[in-house]
Amino acid sequence: MTVPWVEKYRPKRVSEVIGNKEAIEAFLNWMASWEKGRPSKKAAFLYGPAGVGKTSLVIAYATEKGYDLVEVNASDWRTAEKVKAIVGSACEFATLDGMRKRIVLVDEVDGIAGQEDAGGIPAIRDAIEKTKVPIVLIANDPWSPRLATIREMCEMIEFKHVPKNLIISHLRKICALEGLECGDDVLKAIAERSNGDVRSAINDLQALAMAGPKIDGSTLAALGYRDRVKEIFSALVQVFHAKSIKDAWASTENIDVDIDTFFNWVLDNAPQQLTDPEDLERAMDFLAKADLYFARIKRMQRWNLLRYAVPLMTGGIALSKKKTPKSFVKFSFPQKIRMLQATKHERDLRNGLASKIASKCHMSSYKANIEMLPFLSFIIKNDGNIANGLARFFELSESELSYLSGKPEEVKELKVEAAKPKRKSSTRQRSEASA
Amino acid sequence: MQVIFIILHDPNQADCELSTASVLPWIEKYRPTTLDEIVNQHEVISSLKNILKTKAVPHMLFTGPPGTGKTATAHAFARDLYGDGYIKDGLFVEINASDERGIATIREKVKMYARSIPFGNVGFRILLLDESDQLTDDAQHAFRRVMEQFSSTCRFILVANYSNRIIEPIQSRCAIFRFKPLTKTDVASHLKKIAKAEGLEIDDEAIDAIYDFAQGDMRKCINILQAASTLGKKVDEKAVYTVIGYVSRGDVRRILEYAMSGKFVEARDALRAILYLQGISGRDLVSAIYREIFALNIPEELKVELLDNLGEVDYRIAEGASEEVQIMSFLAKLAARSRR
Repeated sequence: MTVPWVEKYRPKRVSEVIGNKEAIEAFLNWMASWEKGRPSKKAAFLYGPAGVGKTSLVIAYATEKGYDLVEVNASDWRTAEKVKAIVGSACEFATLDGMRKRIVLVDEVDGIAGQEDAGGIPAIRDAIEKTKVPIVLIANDPWSPRLATIREMCEMIEFKHVPKNLIISHLRKICALEGLECGDDVLKAIAERSNGDVRSAINDLQALAMAGPKIDGSTLAALGYRDRVKEIFSALVQVFHAKSIKDAWASTENIDVDIDTFFNWVLDNAPQQLTDPEDLERAMDFLAKADLYFARIKRMQRWNLLRYAVPLMTGGIALSKKKTPKSFVKFSFPQKIRMLQATKHERDLRNGLASKIASKCHMSSYKANIEMLPFLSFIIKNDGNIANGLARFFELSESELSYLSGKPEEVKELKVEAAKPKRKSSTRQRSEASA
Repeated sequence: MQVIFIILHDPNQADCELSTASVLPWIEKYRPTTLDEIVNQHEVISSLKNILKTKAVPHMLFTGPPGTGKTATAHAFARDLYGDGYIKDGLFVEINASDERGIATIREKVKMYARSIPFGNVGFRILLLDESDQLTDDAQHAFRRVMEQFSSTCRFILVANYSNRIIEPIQSRCAIFRFKPLTKTDVASHLKKIAKAEGLEIDDEAIDAIYDFAQGDMRKCINILQAASTLGKKVDEKAVYTVIGYVSRGDVRRILEYAMSGKFVEARDALRAILYLQGISGRDLVSAIYREIFALNIPEELKVELLDNLGEVDYRIAEGASEEVQIMSFLAKLAARSRR
């Protein structure tokens, strides 16, 4: 088990690289242009999050097609001189007939420091201009202004996070090869936490395998492999039951979600936790203030304001609890997230409807949604003939029409209601008469 | 061929085609198409007619309450100027600023249209920027340059409810036309005209009820009339109230009542339904709450306190804070203070 699995199972062929099909195709097309002798751009710049296969792709390609790979990364060299020495020489004395073909791979380009690596970037630029062999640059973040001129010289190829299901099936293959017994729930948990980073997923699997050939839920827990949701719940307990600002504030140290997400959990659990209306009023007041700080942070990029927002949304909540009886009330998943998931279809439908109406009635979608939809829905519920005609005018789909016409019971209700007030008004008259 | 011929003349088929004919919403069917059909904006219309005579068209800003005929006037003006093909010939285009409020709209769409030289001998085209008070400040500042740069090829008609949301430099480049709110008499005679054309009977009580709810917003009035007509050929007060009851459902009132009876969670969920499902903006919702506060059955001192709090909510939302969180804090205050 001494070989890291990420090396052991690094793809040997391009077809073994998982995910990022488009990026791979772009890379192959670019290499094909080199093979034909007329490269579209002399260098390719592969960029994207860590552990998604940028370097692996280049290595696999070189291995498969018989290229020599001259690989340098930020830790190898720093200054213009070194760049010239390594990259430059590899690039210039290229393919003498009979020699093996060569690719120059410059990894971690964003790691080239501005000051200490003086001249490093211009040297790369120089190398690209002169090169007779393909140069591949790799970085997580290619958007630094210092790289602007280099970007223009490169075929830019973006890599994205690898989808969870691909990571899971990849891990499953490794388990089979290593003779590991590992439940799908465990693989799912690993993939979940990896956040699209294949390398970290494989590293995690290897770490878990140290405990023995059988990995299950308990192994996960034993190795401190924490469940994100469980973490949030225990942080919530800390927030709502803390006695001091400090204790409540500390709750945010142990969670692996961003502060916005945690805010929503606190927000939606507050009413159940603080049953006394005055306690809740205080708590909501603090949350609203924290929210205001978040808005300011976002608008002005003032991240230092977080030191006010976070204690308000944690400590403020803890100290709001004055009259609520002391007892343990269960925490729950934020209602808002559930609501938004449950209504996604309906919201999409409404948006589509609103923009169709807007384009026919000379108004904004917003106005169409607020002002027209209720009336149209009323008309369509009541009169099937007009409904079809209106549907035709607005070019409504089947599902849009049936959304507007609602449930049949509602239609009956409307008609009954319209007939009813007559009786009502006559009773009013009667009561007036008796008065 | 013969078979098709027979099918075409099948009487059932003919009925079927009839029932699937396109039906217009009345606000479109009765949209004024000439300046003379615009209801009761005499000063505006006579000025516009003068402009038509001289063909010296300035940039214009139409302001006034909703449903008073601003957009329709802009269309009618362009039709009188260019003829019936004013849209088809590419001489008039309409952009709604509310859906595209950012600076990109000005830089791309508006500029693109404004800079191109029109065919024929008209000299300039017209761009209608509807709901232009919804444009962001940045977009408005970008726009003022565009107005000058391309005034040889394009005239702008800006439509807005509130002129004070249009920045001063734009206002000063426009001839401003103020549309008056429509009076009950205006509304009544127009609704009667439509009722007659549609073969409906409408009584004065029904018209009163419509006007009470919609005020001088003709669009809303016509919508109510059309909706009420689906309940029967005789449109009376009850039919109108049924429509109003349906469309105004009292959602805002219900949220406040939930809060006042201590049901905070219900209030919160109803709030979210309004914001996310119905898609009403926080700004509009705050305005609706504002109106409701005065009608609540609570002590006057508490109303003042709530007003102060709502003002803070309003300001924070303008500052970029979350509508939902800020309004929730208002509801929590209402819940705590309104119990004895």
